[in-house]
Amino acid sequence: MPKCKNLLLTSKRRKSKSKRLKLHQHEPESLFPEKEVEEEDEDEGGFKLKIAAPSQEHGVQPLGNLYFNPGAVNVRNTGLGNLQILSDELVLDILGLLGANHLGVLATVTKSFYIFANHEPLWRNLVLEELKGDFLFNGSWRSTYVAAYHPKFKFAGDGESNLKIIDFYSDYLFQSWLCANLEMKPKWLRRDNITRVRGISVEDFITKFEEPNKPVLLEGCLDGWPAIEKWSRDYLTKVVGDVEFAVGPVEMKLEKYFRYSDGAREERPLYLFDPKFAEKVPVLDSEYDVPVYFREDLFGVLGNERPDYRWIIIGPAGSGSSFHIDPNSTSAWNAVITGSKKWVLFPPDVVPPGVHPSPDGAEVACPVSIIEWFMNFYDDTKDWEKKPIECICKAGEVMFVPNGWWHLVINLEESIAITQNYASRSNLLNVLEFLKKPNAKELVSGTTDRENLHDKFKKAIEEAYPGTIQELEKKAEEAKRAEEQRVSFWDSAKTDTFKFSF
Amino acid sequence: MSSKMIVLMSSDGQSFEVEEAVAIQSQTIAHMVEDDCVADGIPLANVESKILVKVIEYCKKYHVDEANPISEEDLNKWDEKFMDLEQSTIFELILAANYLNIKSLFDLTCQTVADMIKGKTPEEIRSTFNIENDFTPEEEEAVRKENQWAFE
Repeated sequence: MPKCKNLLLTSKRRKSKSKRLKLHQHEPESLFPEKEVEEEDEDEGGFKLKIAAPSQEHGVQPLGNLYFNPGAVNVRNTGLGNLQILSDELVLDILGLLGANHLGVLATVTKSFYIFANHEPLWRNLVLEELKGDFLFNGSWRSTYVAAYHPKFKFAGDGESNLKIIDFYSDYLFQSWLCANLEMKPKWLRRDNITRVRGISVEDFITKFEEPNKPVLLEGCLDGWPAIEKWSRDYLTKVVGDVEFAVGPVEMKLEKYFRYSDGAREERPLYLFDPKFAEKVPVLDSEYDVPVYFREDLFGVLGNERPDYRWIIIGPAGSGSSFHIDPNSTSAWNAVITGSKKWVLFPPDVVPPGVHPSPDGAEVACPVSIIEWFMNFYDDTKDWEKKPIECICKAGEVMFVPNGWWHLVINLEESIAITQNYASRSNLLNVLEFLKKPNAKELVSGTTDRENLHDKFKKAIEEAYPGTIQELEKKAEEAKRAEEQRVSFWDSAKTDTFKFSF
Repeated sequence: MSSKMIVLMSSDGQSFEVEEAVAIQSQTIAHMVEDDCVADGIPLANVESKILVKVIEYCKKYHVDEANPISEEDLNKWDEKFMDLEQSTIFELILAANYLNIKSLFDLTCQTVADMIKGKTPEEIRSTFNIENDFTPEEEEAVRKENQWAFE
């Protein structure tokens, strides 16, 4: 069963015929043809593939092509023998239990096993498990692994596995390759409906955006940051030196990370996301400042025991975060220092299409890759009343993500950013409510002492800001009663017995 | 004290009465129990009786409590015997464990197949899974060269 819940496994793709991709083979015996893929309902020409999509796509075709090729045999099945009754994901689950040598041997069994055994995610797992963050990316995960363990082994040609296979049809493997190699389509980037402000006062920000819980893009508030001038790849590599930053499941030196991000072509590139960057490299702490709107940071009362709250984020084009709500019911700001990010946000009460949260919110099932969400679900939102908020946040700009909002972010180019989560008076009650939940232990993130966080935090707030919680609760009660009265007024207005009298 | 029983129905129409506590090792069944739709029995359209019998046997063994105490070592030995099956049955069990979402059974069955691959030569693998080599001699040489490091 899939280790990560992803919607590559649903049959939705196969059912939606209009989205079936057709690859055109120009000669029957040709190898993998031009990298042109046309979508039938596309109004703007085909998908654009990243320049130099790697030579190691072996020629996997989507299942749809098999149906256009009557009499063709699917080499996938004949080459698996008795295993063919298993789905691609199940075959890969089994192969995921094998070591590198087993996969290398398996690749010589049949064309089908050749393709399965070279599936990059398998090799990524092997590299990360065995080499951790200490790998020299070598163009592909497979050659990275082989080069590390068999340094004397001479790769033929450009070092990649090169055999072109025709007549292998698989939606799962094709989609996997496609998502790894697609560029963002212009039409996915066009909508920009967020409110942008510059130079507003803190009070204005709180009354217009923070309290009503509305996203906004703030311009001009990073003007004083040394980081804006200084933070480039080279500068950071120099200043960070040999310190390792958190990248997915491992920790890496920056130089090695950039070597990887330059060469990576995958559905979900590894994303550098370190919650202790300021502690690890104090000079970085001195080169940025919390924008004035976000200075009320109530978790600060916990001092060193506060959950993770600030991250440096570095990633190549295509990296990002698929739909999620930030933990602990906090709000967040995200400042782009270099690069640019595409944002898609939905309000707390609107679950994005293609996203399936579990009832307690502990798990979210959604497409594996961000590109896949755009391919399969973005258009669904066109006719929705509650359209998402979208924008591109560029260097020097700051996104405000109100608490509880669903959001998806994708880097359109290599980007360096800083993000912080916080609790202010506007969302303090929500945060406390969240921490009180019975399953808070699983949901609360970024702290080792999950169970007591609610009590600790509440106590610390009451000590530092006595009376604040009661005040906020009183205000919330009053607001609720006012809302109820308003509702009942209009309810009664609907009935015949009510008469306006002026 | 009688324990709650539920009825599982295989794709070929056979019914099996099973203790609820045993059956909910399947997450799929557990969710249906939570959603309270098991009163008329649970139809399992993807699992035929021959396989369902084995699944139930597994779940019963793995329902470990005071009445059925068993050490991990003993369980492992039992697993080995349990998995002494025809290949096709093993694959059907993988499909069933996946569909029914029984993690430990899924892990066990996948590992069994992985173990069938480990340490074998390409020819032995082909023979194990009834596969014909579809490489041309030139292709086979190229592929072998690419993966020579795995053979050393």
